This record gives sequence, C-alpha cells and structure tokens, in this order.
Amino acid sequence: MKSDIARRDFVKLATAAALTAGTGNWEAALAAQQKAAPGPDAAERDLVMLALDAVKSAGASYADVRITRGNTELVATRERQITNVSMSETYGIGVRALVGGSWGFAATRDLSKDSVTATAKRASAIAAGNDKINPVKTTLAPVNKFPDARWITPHEVDPFTIPIEEKAALLFKTNEEALRVKGVRFVTSSISSIRDSRLLGTTEGSLIQQTFLRMGPNVNVTAISADNADFQTRNASIAPRGAGWEYVIGLQLSENVLRWAEEAAAKLTAAPAQPGVWDLVLHPSHLWLTIHESIGHPTELDRAMGYEANFAGTSFLSPPEKVLNKFKYGPPLMNIVGNRTEPGGCSTCGWDDEGVPAQSWPIVDKGIFVNYQTTREMASWISNLTKVRGSLGTAYGQDWASIPFPRMPNVSLKPNPQNLSDEEVIAATNRGIYIEGDGSYSIDQQRYNFQFGGQVFWEIKDGKRTRMLRDVAYQARTPNFWNSMALLGGQSTYRLGAALNDGKGQPQQLNAVSHGCPIALFRNVNVINTA
Amino acid sequence: MQNTSKTHGLSSGEARSLAQQILSYAKADHTRVNIASGVSGFTRSAMNRVTTSGETTNVTVRITSVFGKRIASVDTNRLDVTSLQKAVREAEALARIAPENPEYLPELGEQKYLDVNSYYPSTGDLTTESRAQAAALGIKAAEAAKFVASGFIDVSAGSDAVATSNNLFGYHSGTGVASTLTIRSTDGLSSGWAGDEGADWNTIESDRIAQDALRKCRDWHGKTALDPGKYEVVLEPSAVGMLLSRMMGAFDARQADEGRSFFAKHGGGNRVGEKLFDERVTITSDPVEKNAETSPFTNAGLPVQRQVWVEKGVLQSLAYSRFWAMKQGVVAKAGPSNFIMSGGEASLEDLIRSVRRGVLITRFWYIRGLNPRVISFTGLTRDGTFFIENGKISRPVTNFRFNQSLAELLANVEILGRPTRVAADESGSAGTPVVVPALKIREFTLSSVSDAI
Repeated sequence: MKSDIARRDFVKLATAAALTAGTGNWEAALAAQQKAAPGPDAAERDLVMLALDAVKSAGASYADVRITRGNTELVATRERQITNVSMSETYGIGVRALVGGSWGFAATRDLSKDSVTATAKRASAIAAGNDKINPVKTTLAPVNKFPDARWITPHEVDPFTIPIEEKAALLFKTNEEALRVKGVRFVTSSISSIRDSRLLGTTEGSLIQQTFLRMGPNVNVTAISADNADFQTRNASIAPRGAGWEYVIGLQLSENVLRWAEEAAAKLTAAPAQPGVWDLVLHPSHLWLTIHESIGHPTELDRAMGYEANFAGTSFLSPPEKVLNKFKYGPPLMNIVGNRTEPGGCSTCGWDDEGVPAQSWPIVDKGIFVNYQTTREMASWISNLTKVRGSLGTAYGQDWASIPFPRMPNVSLKPNPQNLSDEEVIAATNRGIYIEGDGSYSIDQQRYNFQFGGQVFWEIKDGKRTRMLRDVAYQARTPNFWNSMALLGGQSTYRLGAALNDGKGQPQQLNAVSHGCPIALFRNVNVINTA
Repeated sequence: MQNTSKTHGLSSGEARSLAQQILSYAKADHTRVNIASGVSGFTRSAMNRVTTSGETTNVTVRITSVFGKRIASVDTNRLDVTSLQKAVREAEALARIAPENPEYLPELGEQKYLDVNSYYPSTGDLTTESRAQAAALGIKAAEAAKFVASGFIDVSAGSDAVATSNNLFGYHSGTGVASTLTIRSTDGLSSGWAGDEGADWNTIESDRIAQDALRKCRDWHGKTALDPGKYEVVLEPSAVGMLLSRMMGAFDARQADEGRSFFAKHGGGNRVGEKLFDERVTITSDPVEKNAETSPFTNAGLPVQRQVWVEKGVLQSLAYSRFWAMKQGVVAKAGPSNFIMSGGEASLEDLIRSVRRGVLITRFWYIRGLNPRVISFTGLTRDGTFFIENGKISRPVTNFRFNQSLAELLANVEILGRPTRVAADESGSAGTPVVVPALKIREFTLSSVSDAI
C-alpha cells in the first residue's frame, strides 16, 4: 500500500539531493550552495553594521543582528472554488544583546537609520536592566567567524516563478478527482510557498546571508454518510519540504487524490477498532510525528534544564549526568540523529541564527541516549559529559521580530541497514494495526504519556494487511514505546515527515522541522477507540 | 513600553489617513484595507532568573483587491509610498488572475459598530522595569521556599482598523496582558501553576499568582497513584477556560448545515432550538465585556455584537458568514469574539465540599481535538491534581490524560462557581478573552495515568 506517490517522491528527492546536498558530501554541497546563493543587499549590510556598532557602544559584550524578509504565498481552494489567494511579506530588524551576562532583545519594522540605532540601544538597555537582577551570567561557546557566508535551499524551480493560475489549476484538478468518489462531499486543498531570507551579523565578525525555500501542500477530503449522521475526513498528510516547486509536481496530487478520497469514503463503513493491546506498524507519514514529540522535544537541553517549564514543559531526560550515555531509549536497532544537513529538511541550513555551522550528530546511538540539542549558551552545561565543546547549532528565531533560542533541528530515525520493504515489516506480525498519516496528537509536558491517532488504519492478520479500521489511537509511555520497537524498514522505506508550525517559547514562536524515518514495527501497544 | 504615556499603535486619524492613502492607489472594483499596529513586550524567567526580555513594534497592512468575483490579498509591513503602491499593484495583479470565488459578496459600506474602548493605559504604559519587578515577586517567593520559578509576562498594546472602498471605516484600540508562573520543587517532584489574564494590568494580581503557584507546588509534593476512570471532577476556572474555549469554532451554521458538526441535525439542517446541555449552561460573547473586550468588527468589517449561543442548555444561535446567511435567507452573524459562560455563586471550596470521591484539576495541557462529531478532546492535567474524598482534598495524585466530549461535559454540569477572566491560552500569551466559572462535573473521563510532573 505504500503510496506510489511517496515512492516517486522519494526517488525525486534523492535525485535532487545527489545533485546538491547529498548526505555523504556536505562540504561539497555547502560550497555549491555558497555559489548559488544570493549575497547580502548592500543597504541591509550597512544597517546590520550600524546596529552592531550601536549595540557595542551601548555596552553589549556580544550581539547578533538579523534582518529578515519573510514571503509567504497561499493559494487555497474548496471543491470548485478558490477560497484564498494571498501574499504576505514581513520585513524588519531584530537585535539581541548580551550585557554583563544577560540578554535583551528589541525589534522594529522601521529600517530608517535612526530607528535601527535606537532599536540597538534599546536591546542593550533591556539587557542591562535584566543584568541588575540576574544572579547567573550567560557565557557563549566559541564559534569560528564566517565573514562572507551564503546559503540557499537546494531547489530546481523557485515556487514564486510559478503563476497563481497554474497552482490553482492543479488544486482544482485534484479536487475534481476527489469529488468523483461516491460519498465525498467536500475537499479542500492548498499550496503554501515560503521564502525566508535572513542576513545575520554578529559582533564576532560573521556576516551570513541565507535564503530558505519551503513548500507546504495540503489536501483534505471529507465524506458524509447518506443520512448526514456521520462524516469522516482523510488528510493526505503531505509533508512540507525544504525544496522548490519540483517537490509539488513530484507529489502527483491529482493522481493520488483518488486513493485519499476512496479512503475517506471507506472510513464511513470501516470496522470500529477493538481497544486492547496490538502490534503497530507505523508508516513514516505517521511515525515522524511520534519521533518529533517523544524524541525531538525531550532531547532539547533547554527543556531538560527547566528553561521551558512554564509552557512547553521540562523533560524526563534529566538531569543530564544521570541520563547521558546511560539511558536506554530503545533497542540496539534504534539510531537517532540530529541533522541540519538532511536533504529536503525544513530545518536544513548552512548556519544557525548564531552563526554556528549546520551539522549532524548522534542523539541515540544503538538505543542509548548520547546527546541533546544545544546552542552556544547551552553547550558548556554538558560538555564535560559529551566531550563536545561547541554548539550543535540549534539557535533559531522565527523572524526579525523574534528572539533566537534553542529550536529543534531535523531529528531522524535511521533505517535498517538491511533493506527490508514495507511488506516485509508488515509480515513480521500476526495481529497488528497498520497506521498511515498523522492525526490527533498529544503528549505530556515531560514527554512520557502520549496519545496519537492517524489518518487511516488497517488490521494486519497473519502478516497481511486486511480490512480497514476506524477511530484508532494508541497511548503509551515514551521509554516503553521505543523499547518495544522490534523491526525497521530499510532505506527504500525512508521518508521525511515535517511540520511548519512547531510551537515553543514564550512568546510562542513557530519552527519548521523535518523528521526522516523508515516504516517500523512496535510490539504490544495499548490501543483505544476514540469514537 | 518605554517610559512614556504615548498610546501605542496608530491613532484613529493615522489609521484612517493610511487607509485612505492606500485606497487612493487602488484601481480594483473593490478594495479593503486592514491595519494592525502596536507594540508587544515580554519578560521571561526560568531557573529563578530573567532569561530573556524584549520588545517589538510593528504595523501590518493587508490589502484585499477584488475584480468581479476575483479576489486576492497582500500583507506587508513596509509603509513607504513605493512599497505601498507596489503592494496594491501586487494585490490587483493577483486578483486579476485568481479564479473566481462564486461566494464572494461585495465589500461592506459604512457600518455601525459598538463603542468599545479596551485600551487600558495601565497596560500600555507598563515598563520593562515594572515587568521585571512583577517577575521578581515569583522568583523571590520560589527562592524563599528553595523552589524554582519560571514565568512569563506578555503584554500587547495597539490598534486595528478596517476600511473599504465603499466608505466603511472601523477602528479599535486595545491592550492585553497575561502573567503566568510555574514553581517547581528543586527535586523535580512537584510543580504548581497560577496565572491571570486581562486587558487591564491593574487586574493582574502578581502577589497572588506567586502565592498560588507556591501553594500548589507545596501541596502537590508527594503525589500518589490513582486509578484512571470516570470521576467527579472540580475544574478550576483556568482548566474550564482552556477546555471550553475550544468550542468556539463549533458555533458555525455552515459546518452544521453541511453535516460536519455536533450541531448538525440528522437528515439535514442544524440543531438550533434543541436542548443539548444542562439547563444552567449559558454561553455568550460580547465585545464590551469589561476586561475581556474585543474588537467590535471582523476583518471583513462585519459588526460583532453581543450574542447568546447557548441559553439554559438550549442551542440559541450559530454564526453565519455573509454568503451562508444569504443562501439561507438569514442575517449574517459574526462568530464569537470572546467566550463568556454564566456561573453561579458557589466558591471553589463549595464545589470541593460537594464531592464525595473525585479529582480537583488546576489546568490542562496539550489539548487536541479527537472527534468533532461529539466535540471530544484529549489532553493532560498539569501542575496540581488532587484527590477529593468526602468533601475534602485528601492527597495529591498523579496527572492524567483525559478523553472527553465537551458536549457530554456540558450535559454533566453539577455546580457552577463565579465566572472570572482566565489565562486560557496554553502558550501563556494574552489571547481570546475567556470568562468562565469553576465547574463541578460528573463522569469526567480520566483515561490513563501520566508520570509527568
């Protein structure tokens, strides 16, 4: 069953990646992107320098300045009509200053020289005010300087060069195909195209211009029972991607929507899930979100240390000295990497928002927890345990108006070295439920207890996928769940899932992040019926 | 937020003049301008210190251009003449090529709006120093008890305006502030939370927040197991607000008429007029509600009025977009801009006293939709969960995941407390105003235990 679409999509992505950012040769990819990427605008560079001078004169021992320009284009439809055509741009400057050992931040959309100078001074003044009452002083891990660095997301076709009509036509064709299926009454579809260019300057001499392209397509089909008493939706769970328009073309939406529509209609008459203990086979279009919530978030060092206690929460992986190199996250077949160099990843970059180069590092090695995600501020907190002195490069601010802080990189589960297929993994259970697509998701503030739904569910009997089920969700405790992982698919089953809206921080900021994984089998998981 | 008494955001005159400037560049059949402007400021603390603090000023303009039934919009925050002209040209170029939207109705002309002044200088004039002093109250309370404080104070002050080429102009200015605090024990075995939200900083009780969070952290220490199951629960007002405000989107006529909602009638139509909940349940929204004010117009310029959604358990009305209203032959009605639930006179202690065997819940976390057919949600309890036996809190207990239909919850209301504005947004920012009472509910589904603290 795995979707043809995903398979084609993977092949397409892999081809693009081999040309530009293959995993095996990041340095070559970086050099290629340095050549391909636009350099800084002279006026913007002058403003960054002006702000850096002003913030230093105002007493900052360190500062970074970001001018960002975010452009989002949205084309959205329902059935045979357009519901939204919009472009948005947000442009401004943000200054983060360290005075004494405390942070201050100020930002403005007004890019006049006077305003930029005043904003820089304001950031410094806020930092100085905080420093008066702060008992603990922030120090930063060292980083090399990059005085003329550039990066652009590897892509073939800039999505902003594709006319709106073409995007709308693709969506209408997709909707029309869905509406051919009996019982399907509603379909919404949309394409978001995102360009985020950011110029970073630091008082340590880095000047880094980066341009990120991201695509966010979505298709959602609703079927309604003849008597109006029931309705079911099938979201296509299409992953956003760090890529250009070629990604959307490769999805073959109008061909694949037929299957999604048929599944929406089939859900109306699917058998109700029997609550109890089941083996689960989780497709990457579902498993990515479980990885995000139960591995991505608890391995953020700021959470583990209490910095997010008032909102996102803390982590069961704490204190570091008790869990690093000791905690058994899962079986020896479990290998998790933090990876800002993942081809197509939404969090893939050349440098982070503190000028730290993109990198890849093990978080779980053969089932053992070996490292967190860090920034320059956090690196020294655990360097005696990890022997890693520098930042792992996870600083990110949503835009010019937002202070950078630790955000999740792409966090991915490595595939089985043996290239097992989907069918071979499904064949490894006699009684299970196979789940595709991400549905309702919720996890506690220390990332123990979670509950995940999905989009479509099938019963597995004697190693074969059989009838469709509905209203399935599973509840588990993170360490128990990952230690129940029994089998992984191989590289050919590996796909990226992603979110453009991962929320964290106060004020809340959104981060775009991907998670790669193969298909995987978990034994004896508690399933509930959500009807 | 600097030491100034200037009102933040564009004034009515400035907004009108900017809108007119933009409209003067327009060549489309219809044009609408939305302007949002102002300042936001925050102070964050964690590990008993201020970790970050900052301020951002911005003005965002949305230009919506229409040719016939072709419509498109452009957002920008670049306000120089060249950029604004470019934005208008872009919106018009997009609109010309956008496929027709058969549901589009011409822009509104002049409207009469409620007079809402929700700009409180106490909030608009709040300085970084005052925020830091308020944060310090929580830190000091935690330090004195050898606990650890993490908090967030979020402030916004500014204005919104809408104008159309049909002479509509609406302006509203307002402020919002939320202050939340989590105090954890240093051994990591307990956590307590408290928070306030309002339009007026003078209603934020920083001392009480510090004392409440500290008390919860102390009282919750030593939690023990309790089996999952259906329990009587007492939900504190914050817990009620976090959960019930999720219903706001369900009060929509089109979703119901199209068969995609709890309010859909089997066989077609909707359930307005049916008694669906306990007779003490009354839910309204009102832009002039004190300290919970909202804009008196929608982005499209539709007036927002006081509205009764549920009265004495009976579904009274649903929101109608202009298109759906036309199609159904009724008057367009904006959806709820805030969430106000009527209450009773009972104190929280009264509610607890009435419980023979149940659970007291301080607040919820990670609430996500499960099944829109019954408006059900999942999520977890957090920062203070207690077992009640024979009218008294007997012991702190573990957190739970719940799976609960809100429709069922509103049918199972037993006692209502006094309504109050609550910090209902999980992120701790000042959001949609929510005014709700504490509630005693029977048969609330606590479906599994969470080890989280």
